[in-house]
Amino acid sequence: MEATSEIAYRKIIHIDMDAFYASVEQRDNPEYRGKPLVVGGLPEGRGGVVATASYEARGFGIHSAMPSKQALKLCPHALFVRPRFEAYKEISRKIREIFSRYTDLIEPLSLDEAYLDVTQDKLHIGSALEIAWQIKAAIKDELKLTASAGVSINKFVAKMASDINKPDGLKFIGPSSVEAFMETLPVAKFYGVGKVTAEKMKKMGLFTGADIKNLSEAELSRSFGKSGRFYYQIVRGIDDREVQPHRETKSLAAEDTFAYDLSTLEEMEAELDKIAKLVYDRLLKKNLKGRTITLKIKYSNFKQITRNKSFPVPVADLETINATAKQLLRITFMETHRIRLLGISLSNFGELDTRPKGKIGADQLKLF
Amino acid sequence: MRFIVSTSTLLKQLQAVNGASSSSTVLPILENFLFEIKDGILTISATDLQTSMTTTLAVESKEDGKIAIPSRILLETLKTLPDQPITFNVDDTTFAIEINAGDGKYKLSGENGDDFPKIPSVENASAVSLPASVLAEAINKTIFAVSNDELRPAMTGVYCQLNSSNFTFVSTDAHKLVRYRRNDAKAEQSASFILPKKALTLLKASLPTDDVSVAIEYNNTSAFFRFGNINLICRLIDERYPDYEAVIPQNNTNRMTIDRSLFLSSLRRVVIFANKTTHQVRLKITGSELNISSEDIDFSNEAHERLSCQYEGDDMEIGFNARFLIEMLNNLSGEEVTLEMSTANRAGLLVPQTNDENEDVLMLVMPVMLNTYA
Repeated sequence: MEATSEIAYRKIIHIDMDAFYASVEQRDNPEYRGKPLVVGGLPEGRGGVVATASYEARGFGIHSAMPSKQALKLCPHALFVRPRFEAYKEISRKIREIFSRYTDLIEPLSLDEAYLDVTQDKLHIGSALEIAWQIKAAIKDELKLTASAGVSINKFVAKMASDINKPDGLKFIGPSSVEAFMETLPVAKFYGVGKVTAEKMKKMGLFTGADIKNLSEAELSRSFGKSGRFYYQIVRGIDDREVQPHRETKSLAAEDTFAYDLSTLEEMEAELDKIAKLVYDRLLKKNLKGRTITLKIKYSNFKQITRNKSFPVPVADLETINATAKQLLRITFMETHRIRLLGISLSNFGELDTRPKGKIGADQLKLF
Repeated sequence: MRFIVSTSTLLKQLQAVNGASSSSTVLPILENFLFEIKDGILTISATDLQTSMTTTLAVESKEDGKIAIPSRILLETLKTLPDQPITFNVDDTTFAIEINAGDGKYKLSGENGDDFPKIPSVENASAVSLPASVLAEAINKTIFAVSNDELRPAMTGVYCQLNSSNFTFVSTDAHKLVRYRRNDAKAEQSASFILPKKALTLLKASLPTDDVSVAIEYNNTSAFFRFGNINLICRLIDERYPDYEAVIPQNNTNRMTIDRSLFLSSLRRVVIFANKTTHQVRLKITGSELNISSEDIDFSNEAHERLSCQYEGDDMEIGFNARFLIEMLNNLSGEEVTLEMSTANRAGLLVPQTNDENEDVLMLVMPVMLNTYA
């Protein structure tokens, strides 16, 4: 009887490479080892940001998405190198090959992170913990890199778990300990809880999973809408999201709801600067370029509009994102309409230009 | 407020101005027509804040007043009613509207007419007038080349230059350009402004076919058109128009003259076999022979056609987006056209072989760079 109730649980592993870009650089360049290393935009350049900081650099308070200039201030002797995405992609491919020895249910989240569903593993190992050990060992042996793994019964807890013993960590949170684990988890760690929601929760006296557990589903959805239902379930260890092997990134966005409604173009443009930066950081992290830039505007009356602009070739530079978002804002700007939310997204990651290169080179020339 | 009007008369006027109304999520009142009655004359207005249209008609009414009536529901109702007199009863405090038509009774809620944006007037304006046919022709000849790129607002309208010897209308989307000049139109004072595409589309649709005179007034911000009982006011595009004269090539030593309709129908066939994204065709001119070809390597499609032409110049090969050429040839009149070119990476100039006395049409298209196969 006990066996049947256990079978109902899935076995999910979340694997997260430790300081991936930085570790690869340290592996390939012995002179970088043991030193604070920052992979990302160079501090001399404009708008450069940290993509990944080595653990040595993290000791100085440097973290990803921080402006490289600021990183340099925190640690003046840090080494800065440009990312080599091609190399990371290749290694990422090899990591996935290792995963695929155990299961085909692999959901990559980025180059350095993935969910695996090993409820049915190909090698009939049976123990998810053992599989996680083997994967970590294979990554270390074959690629000379370390990964951290979290093992649990759903994606959410597995992801939380992989973060616990980083770097080179492994954490197992079994069915019996899931609820207890969730109760002690600070709300800020919850999936989808950003700064704004965390602040709101704090005001409501919600600090840990246990506090959320005291609220009814109705109370939670009243305060947090759709996410409320998710919180209700997740604190009870319920997360039915499946590991989706073929999830493609369709769009990448950042948005911000403001503390007070914006009424001047200057305020809005200042906010767009910040949002464009966020989108840019995320693009950099995922190494994506998009052809379409969309600006989302929600007015004080909650009416929402979007305006977009597509480019003939994929773009990913901060300046284009920022300038386009501002142009789109200007064409919709009305002095009478205050704005409560602005968002920028990039989509259309696929290549439009499918023509074989060098065969029909069709470059439409311009007059102006 | 209460008035009686015939369905067909009202519908005709509503349809004339409906194009200016907007399905604005931001300002819902723009989805209404404004009805204003004064001394038995009903003025109907529609606006999207950029372009506004008004029209007037006589109705049977004892009192003055105004009300904003939802446009879609009103139009749909009128379209399905037979021609008959209908009565509008408006409650001036609740803005409830009741329409009585024959045996039918329909209720809908309007909005306070005072909330409807004020239709602007054009102050300190200069005035000219043009025959409706000339204005219509200027719009027809240029509007297809107007850009849809909101990020380059100057090019989303037709540039109008008025002076004492002619009127010039210019449109471009950076790939193609049209300059349409009328030598029979004159203004006392030189002026230039950019008319937005939407206003021109509305004008084109509502200009009468009989040759009435259109009164045009303009200042730095707006332009006003009046013909018959219809007024159209639009905001001008407040941008600097690109220096188009600078891109019109002056020394085109290669000149091909060809039958317009043969060239056009050949392009229409050949483009079927071209790449669906680029619509690229290749023109190869040797002696008095024009070879038009296209290929779509992905589908192993290709087409070749041979046409005879008159040609002065060096043999040349040049690529174009066939859709641009087709649009331009479609909008030219006359039996023969001349394509003037210099090199394969410079603009080609397409002009009718003979212009009408009062017209001067010039079209310009940028080529597509061709790669020759190894």
